[in-house]
Amino acid sequence: MVELRQNEQKVLLTLNKLGGKASIDRIMKLSGLAHASVMRATLKLSKEKLAQLLEQKQTVVTLSSEGKTYARDGLPERRLIKSLIKLGGKAEINRIVKETGLDSQFAPIALGWVRRKNWATIKEKKQQMIALRDPEKGEDERFLGILKAKKAVIIEEHSEEKQIVADVLRRRKLVEVEERILRTLKLTAKGKALVNKGVTIVDEVSQLTPELIITGKWRETKLRKFNVTAPGPAFYPGKAHPLQQIIERAREIFLEMGFTEIRGPLVETAFWNFDALFQPQDHPAREMQDTFYVSDPKTGKLPSEEIVDAVAKTHENGWITGSRGWGYKWNRKEARRLVLRTHTTAETIKYLSKHRNPPIKVFSVDRVYRNEQLTYKNTAEFHQIEGIVVDKGVTLRDLMGTLKTFYSRFGLKKVQFWPCYFPYTEPSAQAMVFVPQLKSWIELCGMGMFRPEVLAPMRIEHPVLAWGGGLERIAMLELGLEDIRVLFSNNLGWIRGVPLRR
Amino acid sequence: MGVARALKGLRGWELGLQKYDLQKGKTVLKVDSAVSAVRPFMLGAIVRNLKLNEEEVAELMEIQEDLHWGIGRDRVKASIGVHNLDGINPPFTFTAIKPNAMKFAPLGTTKEMSLWEILKNHEKGVQYKHLIDWASEYPLLVDRDGKVLSMPPIINGELTRVDENTENLFLDVTGTDYEAVNKSLNVLSTALADMGGRVETVKVEYPNRTVHSPNFTPQKMNLQTRFVNDLLGLKLSQANIIESLKKCRLGAKKNGKEAIEVAIPVYRIDIFHEVDLVEEVAIGHGYYKLKPTLPSSVTIGKQHPAYIMANRARQIMIGLGFVEVLNFTLTNEHLHYKKMRRKAQKPVKLANPVSSEYTIMREDLLPYLMKNLAENKHESFPQKLFEVSDVVNQNSKMESRCERLMHLAAVSSHSSANFTEIRSAVEALLSNMGVRHWDVRAVKHPSFTEGRIAALNVKKKQIGIVGEVHPEVLNNFELENPTAAFEVNLEIL
Repeated sequence: MVELRQNEQKVLLTLNKLGGKASIDRIMKLSGLAHASVMRATLKLSKEKLAQLLEQKQTVVTLSSEGKTYARDGLPERRLIKSLIKLGGKAEINRIVKETGLDSQFAPIALGWVRRKNWATIKEKKQQMIALRDPEKGEDERFLGILKAKKAVIIEEHSEEKQIVADVLRRRKLVEVEERILRTLKLTAKGKALVNKGVTIVDEVSQLTPELIITGKWRETKLRKFNVTAPGPAFYPGKAHPLQQIIERAREIFLEMGFTEIRGPLVETAFWNFDALFQPQDHPAREMQDTFYVSDPKTGKLPSEEIVDAVAKTHENGWITGSRGWGYKWNRKEARRLVLRTHTTAETIKYLSKHRNPPIKVFSVDRVYRNEQLTYKNTAEFHQIEGIVVDKGVTLRDLMGTLKTFYSRFGLKKVQFWPCYFPYTEPSAQAMVFVPQLKSWIELCGMGMFRPEVLAPMRIEHPVLAWGGGLERIAMLELGLEDIRVLFSNNLGWIRGVPLRR
Repeated sequence: MGVARALKGLRGWELGLQKYDLQKGKTVLKVDSAVSAVRPFMLGAIVRNLKLNEEEVAELMEIQEDLHWGIGRDRVKASIGVHNLDGINPPFTFTAIKPNAMKFAPLGTTKEMSLWEILKNHEKGVQYKHLIDWASEYPLLVDRDGKVLSMPPIINGELTRVDENTENLFLDVTGTDYEAVNKSLNVLSTALADMGGRVETVKVEYPNRTVHSPNFTPQKMNLQTRFVNDLLGLKLSQANIIESLKKCRLGAKKNGKEAIEVAIPVYRIDIFHEVDLVEEVAIGHGYYKLKPTLPSSVTIGKQHPAYIMANRARQIMIGLGFVEVLNFTLTNEHLHYKKMRRKAQKPVKLANPVSSEYTIMREDLLPYLMKNLAENKHESFPQKLFEVSDVVNQNSKMESRCERLMHLAAVSSHSSANFTEIRSAVEALLSNMGVRHWDVRAVKHPSFTEGRIAALNVKKKQIGIVGEVHPEVLNNFELENPTAAFEVNLEIL
């Protein structure tokens, strides 16, 4: 059973009313449907073999603006001969033209056609014209009359003679000719049978409205069926940035593991960024090529004299730590210089100088800076993951276990520890992870236990386990990126396309 | 060579201290009192019977560079000269002379230059002139006949150039820090001993004292068994620890029931506290043998309030259909002020920016959001972006005279974006953040269209702005769609 939509039924019935064959234009007129709707219905009716679409080439002839003038006033040669006859059948050309009231630019055309149609002869010497007859209306003039009445004529519907005339007029630029396809719909026997069986039109709507719902009219209304397989417009939801999603996951894991989050300033004194972590003031790592220094404002404030003094002495001679220190004169001016923090450990040590009761477990996943050019593997700003455990009797093995637990929740399960040097931890290690998709071991983070030279000035009495590593590297692994800049390029197409983190 | 030495230990082929023969030599090095003002310390050593291959010469250069950079602090505290001993005659003299007093050919040239010319024209002279150019006399190392070995710490003379055929070396280390000079010489001469050289001492005669260098006497340190086990979380016996230390090529023997006396070879300049020995034990024992454990204390995690707030705001913005972007906090004045039609404020400025793109820290988020729109013109509209992140302002009350604040900014860009739409968005944010009362006041702002910009106030304090971005700003970013925006400081909500 063929199921027809409202418009398709309308077209079918209209066609029947028009005698089973009609042009699309006529169907539109009678049904009141738009062209696109009739055509869509036609497609369906043809597919179901209820109607047949016939296509015929048509040549449409209409009057040009010049043609319109002549259709109203007569052809110039007709007006000329009329005047000549009125003047007695023989007269000077100038006089005839004047009598006719013909625009001077049309005079040569009129004279040409009078001669060509053999209506008069011209005595060149005397500039005289002599009428040969009082001519009857020609085919061309009659055709102009038809055009004037009908506005447009489909030439294929007329005799061959008329077609020749139309061509002459086209060459005189009195008519315009346009070719088009005439689409005619013809009811098939199957269509006729369906109409005879009876097609009743039910109201059909494309959008359910509050009115239809409230009044209950929806019961008598047919909701038009949609082509549900047709593609629709794209819709982009609001969402968190892919890197932010990974930051949030790192934070969640820390929180699940019982860590407290800390947050510190981005601009920090060299004291907290370097000196408190036993990095000597003349160490190359503090040089300008690794660290961003701030020129405005230039310097910050130092913490309590007690802490500053202890740090100074530890650098100079080891103080009470049992260390030999760095053996140089510590400079407080250097410690007051401002830097963009190169690691979140600056905040960690500050926090530990104020919170000394174990157990302490703190973390941050936060912005740090390195004086680097932007390349596919480096950015001047990135995020550091940092975890700290302070407790009575915690050991290097505890650090290894904590760190392993953390990264395994990121899906990084195959972790190894290699010896490594870091200035403020001892013993130190480097955690390496095996990445199956890269088939290699990559550096995950640095780790270690704070040196006595770091602990003593802050009066920290228990071992401090610390680890820190980049977040972007993990993000690149998760997102399958080879260029770190993608994470900060904010390409909307990319952000819209990346699925939410699993 | 150092790697080979360590590997032999870890594999157990050779344990304990590496033995070095040190012969007492007769070569004299005089240190003139003239140098005390500019570069007071010098030590030397002789190494004989070397047969260096190309790789070893390269390694020698590398060790020298590492020492210059590390303990030498880029040649300030110590710098090294390595000379071919054949062709020069002791005694050597370390002295200081007037910058134009004489000429010699520096390494790599045959052209003789005065000391002053070297500082002015030679690549190394230009690089390191700050170490001596303030003095009235410059340091110079010469032999018995006045031939120039080097101009410490700038450059050696061409005369004593070392190549693969060199068999006998004279090493000089000069500097401003005696310890650094001593350590550098020890590291270098033990490395050459590892390469098969025979090291011989030099008699260094200062005006008031005489020393013999190098000195290979190991440093002694006591290590407690318990200290090791406490840090590593192991139960190693005294004997285990001794064995592990020996694998790391340290000397180790029992010192009573608990303690171990460790002898540290002179090349191990990285060991200066007992704790450094603990890592040696871990390496000797094997990191891979350390079984990970978890600390036993129970703790309860807690988020920082700033991030709780940021995440609430983030959730609302996502609900409103905005997409999050993440920008840098570093920016430049052109983007931050000029393109936004603003006069430059007083931002935090970098002393050593790495590019003109990143010279200051952002004071608000909006300029980067405009840049994000400019770079996404080819993507479909409407485009609604937000960022919740850091801005930094100068604030003299803070320890670092800078204050980090959490801001939230959003832009909506499409053919019919307007004030009403963005105001509705910011008010949805405020009410869902739990703000009860706020007022909206018409203000002027150069980045926004007049009459379509308002300030948001909570408890008489301005917390942000909301408005339609000025068409000139849109032109500056080459944007084609009307754009409405807001920015609020989340920390005073």
